[in-house]
Amino acid sequence: MKTKELLLAEDDLMLATLLRYRLEKSGYQVVLVHDGRAMKEGLEQKMPHAIICDVMMPYFSGIELVDYLRNELSSNIPIILISSASNEENIISAFNMGANDFMAKPVSPTELLARVGKELNRYYCT
Amino acid sequence: METRELLSHLSKLENGLNSFSFNELNSDEAHELKRTFDSFKTGLEDKVFGTPIVQTMLKAEPKVLETRQDNNEETTLIANVSHEIRTPLNGIVGFVELLKETKLDAEQKELVNAISAASGNLMDIINGLLEFSTLAAGREKFERVPFNLNNLVGEVAFLCRTLITNKQIDLTVDIDGQVPFALVGDPSKLSQILLNLLGNAVKFVEKGKIHLKVNLKAEQENRTYLEFIISDTGIGIANDKLKQIFESYKQAEPDTYLKYGGSGLGLSIVKELIDKQQGCIAVTSTLGIGSKFKFILPFDKVEDETVVNIVKTTKSEKESTSIAGARILVFEDNVLNQKLMENRLKTWGCKTHITDNGIYGLKLLENHEFDLILMDLRMPGMTGFEIAQRVRESNHKQICQIPIIGVSADFDVADESKSKAAGINDFILKPFDADELLQKIAQNVKPMVSEKVKKSKTVISQKVVTNDVKLINLIPIMEECMGQTELLDELVRLFKQNILEFIGKVKIHLQSNNAQGVDFATHKIKSCLKMMEATTLLEICDAMSKACKTNKDLKYLTFLYEEFIQEYPMVEDALDKELMKIKLED
Repeated sequence: MKTKELLLAEDDLMLATLLRYRLEKSGYQVVLVHDGRAMKEGLEQKMPHAIICDVMMPYFSGIELVDYLRNELSSNIPIILISSASNEENIISAFNMGANDFMAKPVSPTELLARVGKELNRYYCT
Repeated sequence: METRELLSHLSKLENGLNSFSFNELNSDEAHELKRTFDSFKTGLEDKVFGTPIVQTMLKAEPKVLETRQDNNEETTLIANVSHEIRTPLNGIVGFVELLKETKLDAEQKELVNAISAASGNLMDIINGLLEFSTLAAGREKFERVPFNLNNLVGEVAFLCRTLITNKQIDLTVDIDGQVPFALVGDPSKLSQILLNLLGNAVKFVEKGKIHLKVNLKAEQENRTYLEFIISDTGIGIANDKLKQIFESYKQAEPDTYLKYGGSGLGLSIVKELIDKQQGCIAVTSTLGIGSKFKFILPFDKVEDETVVNIVKTTKSEKESTSIAGARILVFEDNVLNQKLMENRLKTWGCKTHITDNGIYGLKLLENHEFDLILMDLRMPGMTGFEIAQRVRESNHKQICQIPIIGVSADFDVADESKSKAAGINDFILKPFDADELLQKIAQNVKPMVSEKVKKSKTVISQKVVTNDVKLINLIPIMEECMGQTELLDELVRLFKQNILEFIGKVKIHLQSNNAQGVDFATHKIKSCLKMMEATTLLEICDAMSKACKTNKDLKYLTFLYEEFIQEYPMVEDALDKELMKIKLED
């Protein structure tokens, strides 16, 4: 099977470094960006297989990303949002916008790996 | 900055609002936004054109304006107006944020973003204007307290380093050996000046050096003149622009604003701050080579040798009476007095619980920690004396030792022997003025709070040694790193960098009264604190988040921020030790 490419957008450098390491270790190819603008540019260059994205980011938020992908690019690729604001309202609005999964910070890398695997399976293997 | 510029921002805002299709959107937020904006606009127009006083001032002959007094009036007016503009503007900024969260199409989104950017800029300008006019109107007071120059410069340099992100800047500090450590002056104004000048340098240098040099310029009988030189290898300033650089409202190039932001008031504020302290400032610069700001400020010498020693050994702790953060339980039955007490204590940044019921108050004591009790001695039901006695009889050490200040209008009640027997530490007679109350509280709370800090520090250092309660826990994250100590090293480095950035950002937000900014930064830092299980810091951050949302007063927030800064070195220490331990075991 071809290596899956992931776009990881997270402005907390510490968390980003840890997540990238774990994702790469599991055989994914990871493009890491630190703000919403870079994320959008990354998407314009190449569409990844799935996106892991922090909700609160400079320039372009995770929610805006979901809207952009689903409504403007009409893409259904898996999106997993992560956020430290884990109140119910946030989670519901993220799902309503079309996000596939939502994780509250601090994110456990092991759990993220499981969720990424599940999403990729669902989208590409069915 | 000129009125013209203010107006251009306003009309941008207005254009954005006009072309925005409110009817189509038909949301409550949009209408509320428009309403706020309209009232803001009329309010502003009234202020500038409406009232007769303003009109005469605007039309007055330049001669009249030249006199110092009228100038003062003008700046006072600007200060007042800026202050009043801020309130509705806050509303606009807030509602635009809400509007952004609603469902908007691409065009609407663009327009809302334009409104948001314009109102944000306007807010910056108004904040600068407010600060400048307060200064120019002579409302600003200058302190004369002993402080440690080395600590101050160190702190400023530390903060400036946190501002350098994504740039290769080498920031160095050199204090000449002849410069005395202990001085008398206004430390917070000096750090404001230095932060402004160094902050500017950071803004205009992409890659290169910034250097701060402090020299002893001259010494008189009891005055010390210090020279501060801030040099950088930035873009420099053209010769013909140098002259006006300190003039109010002017940046070197009109388009500087577009590129670097800022209201152009920073240097005017610096000049005012220096002028007001009988100092002077000068600048030399070469385009493309860099700039050099040089200022001389007089300070008083510290007379008392003991003070010199204290200032030398301790950090520049201000001895102003601050009781911010003190947790106070008030027993008071009169509703009016309750309100009065609550308001006063809140403005000083205290956390208060007020009750008229002895039993309930004693229950509160069991469930909450307090630093002080204010006790009206004439209470219905259980009297103040009885309550005090019950407090002293408590089995809990923290409860029975809380200082109690008796409050009463009746001098007889202030019977010393009776008070002592009941365990009342101090007494204040009604009616008292705010300052009297503040002093009484500070006298009774201070030694306790500082003792507590000392105690917690020794306890914490013991804990680190015995590993009883951990300031941080690296084990879970080490497991996530799958034993890669190099990665763990990198994560620890990034963690420290995150904290430094947080400290710098919050400082700036606090200086510009931006609770929203503090809230956002605090929100962001929490996840990495959780990852490291930095429980003590996390608790402080939780309290900060809460304070951002509920308490408009920034004093308490500042207190928490200082607590964070005090706590962090211990956490960093524990972090380094733990990392070392893990590496040795590896």
